[in-house]
Amino acid sequence: MFHMYLPIAGNSVNIFLILGLGGFVGLLSGIFGVGGGFLMTPLLMMFGIPPTVAAASDSNQIVGASTSGTLAHMRLGNVDIPMGVMLLIGGIAGGTVGVQVIKLLKAMGNADFLIAITYVIMLGGVGGYMFWESLQGMRHDNGLPIEKKKPRPKEEDEKKSFVQSLPFQYKFEKSGCKISMLLPLGFGVLVGILAAIMGVGGGFIMVPVMVYLLRMPMHVVVGTSLFQILFTCVNVTIMQAWSNHTVDFVLAVLLLLGSTIGAQVGTAVSKRLNADQLKIMLASLVLLVCVKMMAGLLMTPSIMVALKGGH
Amino acid sequence: MNRTIYRILLCVLAALVWCGSALAANGDPTLQLARTTLKITTFYNGTTLKASGTLPADSDVLLHVIGAKKNVALKVKGKVAGLLWMNKTDVELENAPAVYMVYTPERVGKDLLLSQLEGNAKALAKDVAMLGIGYKALVKDIAIKPETADKKFVFGEYVKLMEKAEVYGVYNGSVEYGPIKGGKKSFTVTLTIPPKMNAGKYLVEAITIKDGKADGRASEELTIELSGLPRMIASLSYEHSLLFGIMAVAIAVATGLLIGVLFKGGGGAH
Repeated sequence: MFHMYLPIAGNSVNIFLILGLGGFVGLLSGIFGVGGGFLMTPLLMMFGIPPTVAAASDSNQIVGASTSGTLAHMRLGNVDIPMGVMLLIGGIAGGTVGVQVIKLLKAMGNADFLIAITYVIMLGGVGGYMFWESLQGMRHDNGLPIEKKKPRPKEEDEKKSFVQSLPFQYKFEKSGCKISMLLPLGFGVLVGILAAIMGVGGGFIMVPVMVYLLRMPMHVVVGTSLFQILFTCVNVTIMQAWSNHTVDFVLAVLLLLGSTIGAQVGTAVSKRLNADQLKIMLASLVLLVCVKMMAGLLMTPSIMVALKGGH
Repeated sequence: MNRTIYRILLCVLAALVWCGSALAANGDPTLQLARTTLKITTFYNGTTLKASGTLPADSDVLLHVIGAKKNVALKVKGKVAGLLWMNKTDVELENAPAVYMVYTPERVGKDLLLSQLEGNAKALAKDVAMLGIGYKALVKDIAIKPETADKKFVFGEYVKLMEKAEVYGVYNGSVEYGPIKGGKKSFTVTLTIPPKMNAGKYLVEAITIKDGKADGRASEELTIELSGLPRMIASLSYEHSLLFGIMAVAIAVATGLLIGVLFKGGGGAH
């Protein structure tokens, strides 16, 4: 009675387990603004869901969690819609390019190796930098001396004048900055390419891009990231269902029920944490996933074959 | 006239009885399944199925459950740059069954535990493989591409993968015998039907063994089919895939909006 049969996944799952998984990932979505795809898909695979079905059904549940989270953040005034639209357009264009890059890598051989290395470098680099930077911020708040080197005034002026010289300047109200639209478009393309190579929604790359490169306030980053992920995953869900028949509706609904509630709780939790605390928690999570990936790559596997077509 | 007819009928009856005993004498078992069709419904989590029959008193019986044979594309893991374990080489196993389970009685079972393809092969194990039972027999029917790949190694690892999914297995000691009556004994076995045994047709075959040789066979077809909600969803997903995708998104968005409205007064959003 506590199990439900998943017709597309071809397996049955414990209902409460899936609700719990969805709730956990929804919580992360609400706190950090990441879709959780980089966590949920491996977790589902651990519980016997085929990788392609896990990835596609995960996209479906991210739509629900992101809708709930975006709505919550909109009420808090945390969604910069123009910024989100620019990042989204860039992301879709980048994703399309990324798929072609994958095809090229596969033709060259060793695509899996390059993808795995990209994953580890991105997770380690992003997580490590975020951890160090937020630690510095927390030390500063506590009045402790920081090791940060202040950029030279000339360097700052040069950077500022380059950014201001770019065309299509636009005042992004919620983010509190006036920058060229080409910047979020360009970064969106970069994130889209990386997301296609790594097979993720891009949240854990997009959030650091918004924080460190676009200099957006952390709370606006969370809401805007959710907004962008929502539309990316709508596209992915429809395409996966149409082309590959890998969206398991029952699995997605169970994950949704857990994740939408988790996202609401996560939004409430994020309000109680300051920006550096949010950053350091996300950084720790990203680094944990990086360590797990490295362990998987270095340790001798128990079974030396895998079904082709997996993640 | 009546006496003549009566004598003819008696002769026919005697001939029939003699034929029956002759058939029994060649070792063919009988096999019945409690159900020949299983339905996968909404809360399905696998099931069990009772198989029973009779066999000659001086024989043993093994059962195997075999799924449809198909070509399986695999990736073999190897070290890249001497350090990292990755999916490295593409291989394909041809004619590998989707499901393979062997059920054995206790007495014969130990010699049939052939899940380790390496190690010392006992004489009986070789004989058993020659009977067409067990993994060592299965590997003979399977081809591998490219042909230069180590078939024994790849198949051994494939068996481990399938055993983890519970669709391959050797169940030692699961066949139970009843008392001997009239030169025959009954047998019963509870077949395991895991949830990963998908909709399709499966062959359940009973093989009697005497003096290390196959003496007779009997088989039944088992059908597993989707029913109710799982059937409706699978049908929608494959036959109206675009509509299914749009529907999946619409329900996701609606659920998200509903939860957002429900939490409006407190809890999450404020």
